[in-house]
Amino acid sequence: MDRTLTKVDRRAFLRAAAGATASLPVLTRRASAQPKPTISYWNGLTGADGKIMDELIDQFTKDTGIRIEQQRIPWADLYAKLQVSVPAGQGPDLALIHTIEVPHFANDGVLEAIDESRATAKGFRADDYLPSTWQGGVYQGKRYALPLDVPQHLLYLNVKVMREAGLVGSDGKPKIPASRDELLAMAKQITKGDTFGFSIGTVNPGKYTWGFQNLLWQNGANVYAADLKRAALAEPAAIEVAEFWGAIHAQHKVALPANANCRDAFIAGKLGIWIAGSWNFTGLREAKVDFAVSPVPRLFKQPVVWSMPHQFTFPRPKAADNAKRDAAWAYMRWISDHVAEWTLKAGQVSALRKPHSDPRITGDPVLRTLLAQAPNWQGGQPTPKWVAAENLTRPVIESVYIGQKPAAAAMQDLARQINALPD
Amino acid sequence: MVGFAILWLLPAVWVLVTSLKLTENIIRVPPEWIPWPATLVHYGEVLFSSSRTARIGRAFVNSAIVSVGTVALVVLTSAMAAYPLARMRFRGRNVIFALLVGSLMIPNAVVLVPQYILTHRLGWLSTYQGLIVPEAAMTFAFGVFLLRQFFLTMPAELEDAARIDGAGPWRIFTRILLPLSQPALGALAIFAFRSAWNDFLWPLIAVNKPEMFPLPVALALLRGAYSSESYGPIMAGATLSALPLLVVFLLANRRIIEGARVSGLKG
Amino acid sequence: MVRRGALTPYLFLAPGLALFVAFRVYPLLDGLRLSFTNARLGRAQYAFVGLANYERLLEDTRFHASLVNTAFYAVASTLPILAIPLLLAVALNRGIALRTFLRSAFFFPFTLSVVTVGLTWLWLLDPVVGPFNYYLKALGIPVRSWLADPTTAMWAIIVTSVWWVTGYYLVIYLAGLQDIPRELYEAAALDGAGGARAFWAITLPLLRPVFLFVFVTHVIGSFQIFGQVFILTQGGPGDATRTVVQHLYETAFQNFFLFGSASAMAWVLFALILVFSLLQFRLLRGHTQY
Repeated sequence: MDRTLTKVDRRAFLRAAAGATASLPVLTRRASAQPKPTISYWNGLTGADGKIMDELIDQFTKDTGIRIEQQRIPWADLYAKLQVSVPAGQGPDLALIHTIEVPHFANDGVLEAIDESRATAKGFRADDYLPSTWQGGVYQGKRYALPLDVPQHLLYLNVKVMREAGLVGSDGKPKIPASRDELLAMAKQITKGDTFGFSIGTVNPGKYTWGFQNLLWQNGANVYAADLKRAALAEPAAIEVAEFWGAIHAQHKVALPANANCRDAFIAGKLGIWIAGSWNFTGLREAKVDFAVSPVPRLFKQPVVWSMPHQFTFPRPKAADNAKRDAAWAYMRWISDHVAEWTLKAGQVSALRKPHSDPRITGDPVLRTLLAQAPNWQGGQPTPKWVAAENLTRPVIESVYIGQKPAAAAMQDLARQINALPD
Repeated sequence: MVGFAILWLLPAVWVLVTSLKLTENIIRVPPEWIPWPATLVHYGEVLFSSSRTARIGRAFVNSAIVSVGTVALVVLTSAMAAYPLARMRFRGRNVIFALLVGSLMIPNAVVLVPQYILTHRLGWLSTYQGLIVPEAAMTFAFGVFLLRQFFLTMPAELEDAARIDGAGPWRIFTRILLPLSQPALGALAIFAFRSAWNDFLWPLIAVNKPEMFPLPVALALLRGAYSSESYGPIMAGATLSALPLLVVFLLANRRIIEGARVSGLKG
Repeated sequence: MVRRGALTPYLFLAPGLALFVAFRVYPLLDGLRLSFTNARLGRAQYAFVGLANYERLLEDTRFHASLVNTAFYAVASTLPILAIPLLLAVALNRGIALRTFLRSAFFFPFTLSVVTVGLTWLWLLDPVVGPFNYYLKALGIPVRSWLADPTTAMWAIIVTSVWWVTGYYLVIYLAGLQDIPRELYEAAALDGAGGARAFWAITLPLLRPVFLFVFVTHVIGSFQIFGQVFILTQGGPGDATRTVVQHLYETAFQNFFLFGSASAMAWVLFALILVFSLLQFRLLRGHTQY
């Protein structure tokens, strides 16, 4: 045992030394002397932004010669696979995840910690980034992730649908709801036949927890209490939100069915007012939908906007491979340098601050709106149990949405289930 | 009746038709049954993975390797086990047979978690053997049951004659029993092939490397966030995944139905 | 009987039995052991917790819901699965034209994987652009989002399953029908008993063993239903279609990674299947002659 340990130590030292030398600015020259590694990269960008990521990866390979085996898996399946594959030593070299996944993955040892000085050496500095995105990658004092961009919610309005409902002003601009009551009234005006007035979420609006969380935060409520130990979903503020959740579908019937595809409905002119992720708007433009955007309206107490930065992480490898790790760093560096393109084509605001003053970005009305929402961004609570709580939440809010369960009882039951989660 | 049969097939036709439509026509209402203009772009995307979402081409190969491997392993082990159970007397024969028959009642879900742990410990996660061996183990008891029934119906005279000629059990097994058992072996092979080809739950958890996914898992993970963009490739993938069994079915129509019949009636 | 060396039978049995013991018997017993621990994916150490997992199941309302849903599925799907293939088989057995084509048409869905079947029906039943609702509306039938409505979601899954497996049972019924000697029908016809009477008096009783097979096979299979639920509803809406295996899968591999809990669930399922099989065996012992 001891002898093996020393052997490994020595090897590790030599590798680290080699790695340190390789990370000097002489990188490009040295790298071209070695055969280029191929790294595996998992993400959940299964929508239109996935194709943009493909283009950028191709360009990266052309520029550096490093090949990337990208695998796109729908987010929910991706996280399950990460959790299962890393302990088996079969995880990817690089993974793009949501900020809120960092606490539990870090806690479970799925992610490898990132040395801050290494990050700085690679050009990743705190000052360059929006503070909330930079902080999101840290858990219990250690860094595990570096941010890429900031997906967030936005209010979409289908101009054609609203015009038919008489909700478009003489200036051609659709009326924007300023309160819950106004929204419901407008939605009722729009809802007719198989056209619906208002929905939250891209697909499966019944169990769209991100939308539910957005509303919770607007009302000053949250999943956990401030101590991050007890569930706070049985509080009156949370129940009020749950009641609204059920009201839009079960009661007022202005929202799409629980398993509908809201994006398709919006494109097909079957949905008028839509709160959904910013990642949808480039696809809407491609589909030539006549739509307008506006900041997420203040439906409760504060105009909070749900936001969830994407973060690059290094899943714990079976054995340290410096060539692959450097290749992953190179990719992260490259895409951060080209993030303005990512913003323009995929519609995601960057976590880096510099591109925000790029005239191409400030000239785009939608991107401008997204940037303007920054003061109102809020994300999930940094507890390892957040995701498990979210998994429990989905069927419960769905049952409220379809009117199967009354809001108060459902929230109390959910709080009980969340409190019963093992550590 | 014919009308009903056509109605019955309509869902499958709808899948085929959707796979040939241009993306913007897929979510058109009223539904169009003739894909015009027709396109093979979804098939290209799904096979040559220019979109990198799911390597159906590779998944195809994986499914083929796993299915063939499973069939080989099951047929071999089942036949070898059924022979003594049908034709020899020895201690423990009844107990072993009872155990095997009893095991037919074990739902696969019961062994899922421990089987996962075992496969992990053997280092077989995301490997072909990690799929073939458990799958074969699942079908083994049924195979023994089926083949034993069949062996029992074979006349003993042939074996007696061979024995008199000095043939040992192995020779009798390989030279006489097996060649005469082709119908039953064929039925078992087709049953095992279908079972392995379509297995979903086990590969879903036992394979972590995307390039090792078999077809059903690759198809299931094609369900992306946005239906109008994924359904073209999903339907193309579904059509492709149905092709091998469809071909086998058309070619071996009788044999398959015979197999279903045999598996049913002797049960 | 061949008798060549005392070891011969065991040598023949060895490969298969090794496979069987390693990958069926051992995991079965290990699962029982795990159900008494707090094992978790990714955690090397785990502790013995006695009956804690089973106790938690007593309070797990979602597990109860999954048991109820699974039982509902098993019961509600039995009649269509027993009856529809039978009626089709009787019709086909009359020697009508295009018999091979018809038989193949109905059998075809059975050659598809459960994922393909699920995706097909997911697409068909799409509430916005699916053809199923479109044509129903055209016929004046009121429609709803079948998979999103808790009262109809399970029925939608049942319809999907019926479409999938009818062909297989059809073939089995056909084989059973063909085993009934023609003379019986001819004799009955001579006695003046026509179609329907012959059906009840001759066909059904003589098909009893086939019924039994279909019934038992189907019920045991339906206790384990997973693929259709995973693709079509993921257990939703709410918990309306959550089945035991779906819940087990989510607990062990998707949401919580609790291996101990999942093993307890699996053994409860196994116990229920055993009870059912024993009951069925008792009730029908001696009633059938194969």
